[in-house]
Amino acid sequence: MSGSADLLQIGVSGLLAYQRSLASVGHNVSNATTPGYSRQTVDLQAAPAQLLGGNYMGSGVQIEQVRRSYDSFLTAQVRTFTTTHSQYDVFHSLASQVDSLLGDSQAGLAPQLQSFFSAVQGVANDPSSTSARQVMLSEAGSLADRFHSLDSQLSGLRDDVNSRVQSTVGDINSLATSLAQLNQQIVSAQGTAGGQPPNDLLDQRDVLLAQLSEQVTVSSIPQPDGSVNVLVGNGQAIVLGSRSVSFGTAPSPDDSSRLEITYDTGASKVAVTSQLVGGTLGGVLDFRKQVLGPAQNALGRIAVGLADSFNAQHRAGMTLDGSLGGDFFSVPDPVVSANSNNTGSGSVSAKVSDPSALTTSDYNLAYDGNNYVLTRQSDGKTWTQPGSSYNNVDGLTLTLSSGAMSVGDSFAIRPTRGAATGLQVAVTTTNDIAAAAPIRTVAASVNQGNATISSGEVLDATKLPTDLSLLPTFHINFDTPSSYTVTDQSGNLLSNGSYQSGVDIDYFKTNLGLRVQISGTPQAGDTFTVEPNTLGVGDNRNALLLSGLQSQRILDGGSTTYQSAYGQLISSVGVSTHQADIAVTSYAASLEHAQSARDSAAGVNLDEEAANILKFQQSYQAAAQVISVANTLFDTLLHAVGR
Amino acid sequence: MRISTEQMFRQGANAITDQQANLSKTQLQLSTGQRMQSPADDPIGSAQALQLNQAVQMTQQYQTNADSAVNRLSIEDTTLDGVTNTLQRVRELAVQANSGALANSDRLAIAKEVQERLNELIGLANSKDGNGEYLFAGYQGQTQPFAQTATGTVTYNGDQGQRLLQISPGRQIAVGDSGQAVFMAVRDGNGTFATAATAGNKGTGTIDLGSVVDPTAYVADTYTISFVTNSSGQLAYNVTGATTGQVIPPPPADPVASAQNYASGSTITFNGIQLTITGQPVTGDSFTAKQSSDHDIFSTLLNLLNVLWKPIDSPASAAQSAQGIGSALANIDRALDNIDNTRAQVGARLNAIDSQKEVNDASSLHLQETLSQVQDLDYTEAISRLNQQLLGLQAAQQTFVKVQGLSLFNYLR
Repeated sequence: MSGSADLLQIGVSGLLAYQRSLASVGHNVSNATTPGYSRQTVDLQAAPAQLLGGNYMGSGVQIEQVRRSYDSFLTAQVRTFTTTHSQYDVFHSLASQVDSLLGDSQAGLAPQLQSFFSAVQGVANDPSSTSARQVMLSEAGSLADRFHSLDSQLSGLRDDVNSRVQSTVGDINSLATSLAQLNQQIVSAQGTAGGQPPNDLLDQRDVLLAQLSEQVTVSSIPQPDGSVNVLVGNGQAIVLGSRSVSFGTAPSPDDSSRLEITYDTGASKVAVTSQLVGGTLGGVLDFRKQVLGPAQNALGRIAVGLADSFNAQHRAGMTLDGSLGGDFFSVPDPVVSANSNNTGSGSVSAKVSDPSALTTSDYNLAYDGNNYVLTRQSDGKTWTQPGSSYNNVDGLTLTLSSGAMSVGDSFAIRPTRGAATGLQVAVTTTNDIAAAAPIRTVAASVNQGNATISSGEVLDATKLPTDLSLLPTFHINFDTPSSYTVTDQSGNLLSNGSYQSGVDIDYFKTNLGLRVQISGTPQAGDTFTVEPNTLGVGDNRNALLLSGLQSQRILDGGSTTYQSAYGQLISSVGVSTHQADIAVTSYAASLEHAQSARDSAAGVNLDEEAANILKFQQSYQAAAQVISVANTLFDTLLHAVGR
Repeated sequence: MRISTEQMFRQGANAITDQQANLSKTQLQLSTGQRMQSPADDPIGSAQALQLNQAVQMTQQYQTNADSAVNRLSIEDTTLDGVTNTLQRVRELAVQANSGALANSDRLAIAKEVQERLNELIGLANSKDGNGEYLFAGYQGQTQPFAQTATGTVTYNGDQGQRLLQISPGRQIAVGDSGQAVFMAVRDGNGTFATAATAGNKGTGTIDLGSVVDPTAYVADTYTISFVTNSSGQLAYNVTGATTGQVIPPPPADPVASAQNYASGSTITFNGIQLTITGQPVTGDSFTAKQSSDHDIFSTLLNLLNVLWKPIDSPASAAQSAQGIGSALANIDRALDNIDNTRAQVGARLNAIDSQKEVNDASSLHLQETLSQVQDLDYTEAISRLNQQLLGLQAAQQTFVKVQGLSLFNYLR
């Protein structure tokens, strides 16, 4: 066969080629907005020539392959920035919830703290007024409520984190399953097509990988058969060819309120939470570790510090009924939870022994067979000792209250976590507010010297009887201007000493925990009296000391007031949120760049496609013309022969 | 560079949403007037604002405390003014009673008024403040501080406590004085020692208040000046201290035989003090000068009453009356001094509170200015930023529409 038949063949090959080219343009136009779609082009090549009469004659056109414009580096870059962007995005959106919760000028802790202390000043201004005392009690109740509401909102976020972890893990699992299936389809499609790539399936797999990269850091390793192996986080394999693994969630062994991500090896469930970084999952986990935990602990620490210091001062005062003050607030002891994998019978109890030394960290106590190792979680500092009791470490006192720990047992100690929720006002009636000091002093009116006695100060209230009416009246008698005796109301000699102006009188300090000073020049025969402050309802000395606590530096080793501790909390959450905000903006820009670079190579440009349509249409018309010419040639021949 | 159609849409839309986000933030700033919408906008600034807010509110609390202190001190001042008036009236009455020309009935009339004034004084001493607390009861604000016993004496049931209020971070100020300090702790006599005629003196001698002329030589003691007849048969006196022993004549001279000759109105000087006895004492009469001790205002008035109730029927009783009224007058003067001192202290405290309030106002203003700098919005800057952003958004929207309108397909017919 040669001649016009050849020309017909060549024309037909052109028609077919341009039909397919036009079809691929149509495919491109239709998928112009399909996410992850890579533009396809039909690569044409000249059909092998035929040797005719010693010359190679062209035999038309043929399709070499349908090629997708794809750059694996650019696609991987988009995935990387997607991971980082979504990590900071979710971190930012969660952290800004804490940020605006704590920083709210009305709903934050600061205004309520101020109202409470103003109410204490109100009692100091008018100590016997029931209404002033009632205001102080209600403000104290509101303060406790404010702690509860802030803490419960933070706990709400903790639940939110858990449900996000759960749903993200579910997403990751279903994506892994789909990826494994696609791998299988691609391997078989590629086999069927004799090695030609199934472009649309490959695009679809890239879309799934992009979706996975939103959830967690992803790396993919292409295999010779066309499948990819997928690793997430710090190299945790999740898809191997057509097989995928799935993750689960389980409460942490030492904190049931914290969900851990587990991987079922068949033999056991291994916690892989720390392996899974980046993406939504990484952002949520970072938020829990860097913002939520510290914020809740810092709030709790303010509650512990407030309750403890206020109680200590309140116990040194006298109530309207004339008894020694009790605790004003009640605050729960540190939370100790045994690791659920513990095998020993030991149980550990913890107490706050020095609120000023408390940190906002959680702790872990573990037994390694020889030593009890206490670890501070925030910075990993450890204390190691053979005994199980720790005394006043970071303000904590730990005791093995019963049983014994086995090797490998551990306890999680959270000194401040539950404090904000557990803070309660212990005083219930206005009479029980201890605004007065428990004692008063009197200089006898017959005294001839110019010596004066201080009004008395409580150093250690535990040495005083709770019922102050049991406290006797003490007399300090100057037998000479330079020496005195201390006697009780019946005249029994209790102590004697030599007089020094302005120095604590030993007897009261040692036996009653009171600081009583006489200064000036007494004369022989002068007498001073220290007596219970019976009926001293107009006394506001203890209320003044209580209100002074507001500006006293109590927390953080005596460097921080309650208010500034709260300020620190706000600014540290603010800094985290601010940094995340900057990161979101800058990674959004990087992501945009990466996407542009990818789209530049792989995206569909409609104008370009329009031009291609024109081009292929014209070529198609030309090929049709060739067929027409072949037909004419054939007709001419028939006409010549058939005459 | 090749641009895909999708990319053009996305970039255009992103530009619009970015501009909208910026615009919405500026709008929020303008509508609240606050530069920071949450601590994340300026973590350091918001912690600073928190501290400043607390300082402002604490200063306001100090002002409230200061007002309450002023209230209480003003009530105290008014009450003490009443006490001064009462005491001055009593003093006038005492001076009136001391003029020798009065009949016993007149003295009884005066006594009646003094009695009334005493009751008035007890009433004033039991005054309450605006919250119904006794002003002069020390810490025992609900316990009536002064009560009269069946025998007429007035006892103090309060204590020596003094309430303080916080009026600045470093300053507490007393907002009262105990009844002990105001009414009870009044040194009698001249403040150093008090003179008295021994009850039962037969002569008409009276002793003046005396004075300390040489404080370094003064020895506190109870001195007795006894009248004797000395070896020359003259009316003479000797002075003996309860602990220091014989003073005049100086030992070892015999206290009786060598006793000092007496002349009415001549000064008697020993151990740094100087006394004058006038009138005509008789042998066996004696006078004392003992160290001053606290003598309450009420008993001063009661003593005066006792003197007034006693009729004058002899020169000796006239002398006793004069002596009694004289020492009552001295004690009333001492009491007036004490009240004046207390009022001066109250005035000083009121002044101190006034100036502290000014300081508090100034620091509150300063704190608020700083707070405003930290948290308030710079409107000029924000409004020009708003305009700029509006322009930006408009430009983004317009270019989006224009660019998207261009397509080669428009020309394929």
